[in-house]
Amino acid sequence: MNSRSELSSLIRIAGEKKGLLLTAGLFSAVSSVLQIAPFLAVYRIIEELLMHAGDPAGVDKDLILFWGLAALVALIAVLATLYISGMCSHIAAFDILYRLRVRLSEHVAKVPMGYHTRTATGELKKIIEISVEKIEKFIAHQLPDVVSAVIMPLLLLSYLFWLDWRMALVLLVPISVAFWLQARMFASEASRQAYRDFQSAVEEMNATGVEYIRGMPAVKVFGITADSFLTFKQAVDRYRDISLRITDICKTSYSLFFVIVVSLFTFVVPVGLLLMSGRPGDQSFAITFILFLIVSPSLSVPLLKMLYLGSGLREIAEGNKRIEAVFAEPVIAEPAAPRIPDTYDVAFEQVSFAYEKEISKDFKPVLKNVSFLARAGEMTALVGPSGGGKSTIANLLLRFWDVQEGVISIGGVPIRGIGTEKLMEMVSFVFQDVHLFYDTIEENIRMGNAAATKAEVEAAAKAACCHAFIEKLEHGYETKIGEGGTYLSGGEAQRIAIARALLKNAPILVLDEATAYADAENEHLIQQALAELVKGKTVLIIAHRLSTIRAAEQILVVNQGEIVERGTHDELLGRGGLYERMWQAHVRAASWKLASEEKRASRPMAAEGGRR
Amino acid sequence: MMNYFYNISGGDVRGLRAPIAAALLDGIVKVVPAALVVDLFNTVYRSFADPAEGLDTGRMWFVCAFMFVWLAAMYAAYASLYDKTYRVAYSLAASGRLRLADHIRRLSLGFFGRRDPGDLTNLLLSDYAQVEHTISHNVPQLVSAVMLPALSLAALLFVDWRMALAMFVAVPFGALLLWATDTIQARLSERHVRAKNEAASRLQEYLAGICEIKAHNLGGQRFERLRLSFDRLRSASIRLEGVMGPMIMGAMLLTRSGMTLMIGAGSYLLVGGSLSLPVFLLFLLIGNKVFEPLTVVLMNYGEMRYSAYSAQRIMDVRQEAPMRGDAAAEPHRPIAFDRVTFGYDPDSPVLKNVSFTIEPNTITALVGPSGSGKSTVARLIARFWDAQEGTIAIGGVPVRDLDPEKLLADVSMVFQDVYLFQDTIGNNIRIGRMNATQQEVEEAAKRACCHDFISRLPQGYDTPVGEGGSTLSGGEKQRISIARALLKNASIVLLDEATASLDPENEEAVQRAINELVVDRTVVLIAHRLKTIQHVDNILVLDKGELAETGTHDELLARQGLYANLWRLQQNTDGWRIKP
Repeated sequence: MNSRSELSSLIRIAGEKKGLLLTAGLFSAVSSVLQIAPFLAVYRIIEELLMHAGDPAGVDKDLILFWGLAALVALIAVLATLYISGMCSHIAAFDILYRLRVRLSEHVAKVPMGYHTRTATGELKKIIEISVEKIEKFIAHQLPDVVSAVIMPLLLLSYLFWLDWRMALVLLVPISVAFWLQARMFASEASRQAYRDFQSAVEEMNATGVEYIRGMPAVKVFGITADSFLTFKQAVDRYRDISLRITDICKTSYSLFFVIVVSLFTFVVPVGLLLMSGRPGDQSFAITFILFLIVSPSLSVPLLKMLYLGSGLREIAEGNKRIEAVFAEPVIAEPAAPRIPDTYDVAFEQVSFAYEKEISKDFKPVLKNVSFLARAGEMTALVGPSGGGKSTIANLLLRFWDVQEGVISIGGVPIRGIGTEKLMEMVSFVFQDVHLFYDTIEENIRMGNAAATKAEVEAAAKAACCHAFIEKLEHGYETKIGEGGTYLSGGEAQRIAIARALLKNAPILVLDEATAYADAENEHLIQQALAELVKGKTVLIIAHRLSTIRAAEQILVVNQGEIVERGTHDELLGRGGLYERMWQAHVRAASWKLASEEKRASRPMAAEGGRR
Repeated sequence: MMNYFYNISGGDVRGLRAPIAAALLDGIVKVVPAALVVDLFNTVYRSFADPAEGLDTGRMWFVCAFMFVWLAAMYAAYASLYDKTYRVAYSLAASGRLRLADHIRRLSLGFFGRRDPGDLTNLLLSDYAQVEHTISHNVPQLVSAVMLPALSLAALLFVDWRMALAMFVAVPFGALLLWATDTIQARLSERHVRAKNEAASRLQEYLAGICEIKAHNLGGQRFERLRLSFDRLRSASIRLEGVMGPMIMGAMLLTRSGMTLMIGAGSYLLVGGSLSLPVFLLFLLIGNKVFEPLTVVLMNYGEMRYSAYSAQRIMDVRQEAPMRGDAAAEPHRPIAFDRVTFGYDPDSPVLKNVSFTIEPNTITALVGPSGSGKSTVARLIARFWDAQEGTIAIGGVPVRDLDPEKLLADVSMVFQDVYLFQDTIGNNIRIGRMNATQQEVEEAAKRACCHDFISRLPQGYDTPVGEGGSTLSGGEKQRISIARALLKNASIVLLDEATASLDPENEEAVQRAINELVVDRTVVLIAHRLKTIQHVDNILVLDKGELAETGTHDELLARQGLYANLWRLQQNTDGWRIKP
């Protein structure tokens, strides 16, 4: 891990709020210097007391009161400057967090969809939520702390050097030894190894923890909660053991460090005594000695802080690396001079595509040399086995990825030349997995066309067969979906998505298994309604139930990335190829009946299995 | 305070005894050098008071030597504190994690449906990390923050009660300030947490819906909502810091103002002659140090509150009651619903007064519009939840009295969402019966029509599948879950027939696999395509949570009710066309 570059990228982020952070650093420095003041006040009082040791009644009461109040005023000033510094750094930090999150979210919407299929939503969410959050600690606490932890000891030591360089020099020795001990421990092979083990133990515990919870319903059903518990237990135990190993490794050097840093005054004592023995009766030196004893403990807090700075940096480095990786993802290239097509025929010419780059070891071509023309006013159906490339073809039309070879064009204009925004306006898409937003049903439908009136929303809902069920909901179109609102079934959600697409009324319509979850009775109604609405449009349909696309003007049979057959239903049926085989399977599947008779018929075989 | 200790120790405060004792010892050991410094001062003082006598360097050298020797004691005490706190922190967190995990596995399946798994994972991982941190850092801080002032007060009261009172009189006011503003703090923290959760939900929605957002050019509008939630989180965070700061600073100021009060009192008493100089010196030196640990605790006050909140969330789940019951169900017995009413939210029942009996080794289909309660019936049989009213019994034994694990041992569920573990395909099938031989696994795979596609994979049964099983198609995952069920060989099978988005050949394979599975078992089928269930033994038609009709396909058709209506509608499906 290159911590230097991690640090610099963090400082670059922090640089956006230079003014606030400089103010924070300044006040933090002032605050840390002021923190010496109460110590000095005590010193002044003690000095006054010592000077009148012989006649206590001669003590200047007002002077003592003055220093007592000075200590209080200094304390108020310390707290006030600390608060100002803290507020500046926190405002800067929360603002940087906010900007980072906004920029990350903006960025991920501009990268090709390929990124989102490769990267789990949860992972991305974690980066934007947690990894960014960790930066707060660095900016809000550690940056000002650096300033105070460096400036305060420097100033105080300079002052002490000025007072008496010999005793000050003696202070430096234990400080250096303490830091050297820590550095030696961190650099040792044992601690490096332990830290690596710790990282892997944390990762393992997190991974098993996630699977433990996510898989728990499945695990319960199969009565193997004990086994899955054992797996998690092993990871937790390992994490604990390694943490304790690190505790053992750090214990000696950290305890030494701590004891030395909080006992700095102890080291001053012998030197002070030696010097005093040299000049007995020198009262002013005795007072300097007292000053050293009183003031040097105030060094320990910044010195302890300094030690934690390194560990904090390490904590955010990993998350920062992930944030950087997201920003490094290239965005989709937009054309300099967008062109708008006049017609809406969709053409694929010699299109080849793979999700991975050709040099990657996972390289697997998904589409090979795919060419077809989907005419406006016609229905083109894509059929074929799962994983054959049907959905990829549909997604490529939306430019969720850019193709490696060949050209996809609409009305003769390559889609790369149209610009994503215009392209999206031309295409209505109903995805297989519908996503509804936490909003009212009406707004969810209106996503298709923000300018639509209530009547238009309802008309679309009626055509997509959702008006009836929406009306039955307590708040009708005002019903909120999800998160404490209503949860819709898969079929209902899909119909909302169809309504959305209808409202959008784009010249190209893509339906990817759009009625997969719909009830059979609704499917029929949707198909009827759509027939009216899609006249004249270019329609691309992906369907598994072949009976639903019999009427298509063109059926493209996609298998292993290639179009293996094309034609109308009747043409393909006579050909004896994949389509015909699929059709027969479809007919058999459609006539499948789960029944007791079948059960009895197959009993001999099953009984054999049951006796095992 | 006690609440804080109770929660972070997972209800076992005794576990914290060792670090607290070590912190007490460490605190006492740390007082000694302060006393020694006082002695040094007194020696110097005497030389000032009586210059003729001169400085007693002999005594000072002795004290100095003692201070260096005492460093060893300080080291020993601190090393022990370090060791104890970390050991207990990691051990308590480890045992707490395991106890929570063990508790979670005893909770009902319904619990897992209700709770966001990400949330539960956080409890197990990050919330416990917070607990670890607070035990190893805040607990020793708290101990010295309480002990040092308390000890000093007790000792100083004997020296001079007036000075001691002056020094500590303000401390209760600091505590009072924090106590009095607790509701404000709580409200702000709550608002902050809410803003945080809101931002997390918006982010989840944004990322999960990114496809739709792109397709509908909603980058701007949807993004605006996300941006607003980030913005609100920013303001809530700043507000929390901004308001909490002055309160904590005020508390610090109050506690530490005792020093000035003491100095004021001292100067009057000194001049008045009722206070000796060495005593004043003693108070000055101690007053300089005694509030330091309190300041540290106040600095970390927010962090401690946050940890206590983490611990509280853990305890809340720990208090979730697991399902009771220890009886075992006999296999191949009838399943009877007797006037069952159930709702996820008791106020809006999903099932109302439903009664029926399912005979053993028959196939029963559940039919009805979406949202009519079909899945709920199936899930109640497996005791995901307990019904609010009425009884569900298997072989006459109410499921309420059954041990949930033993009940599930006799139930196979083949639903659409199949969870595959990060393991090999073979082991994913073996989940059905952990001690099955490779031959038995392959046998089940063959009957579930997965052997062929598994054999085609480069590593066969040893092929690893990813988290959530992303590398297999939906049909393949379903067949693996059927293979699991075959291996499990339970007498009750709950089946969701939906074969949505399967290509015809996959669909057929799944159907063949299902046919293997249903033989000689009590099958409850959630049916979507009525054609499929024409020959099943019994059909239960549900409508809005009520049992509308029961009977065989022919009986129901003859009745001309809801079923007949659905049947007619489904006959009409004739496909997409754009040129009618």
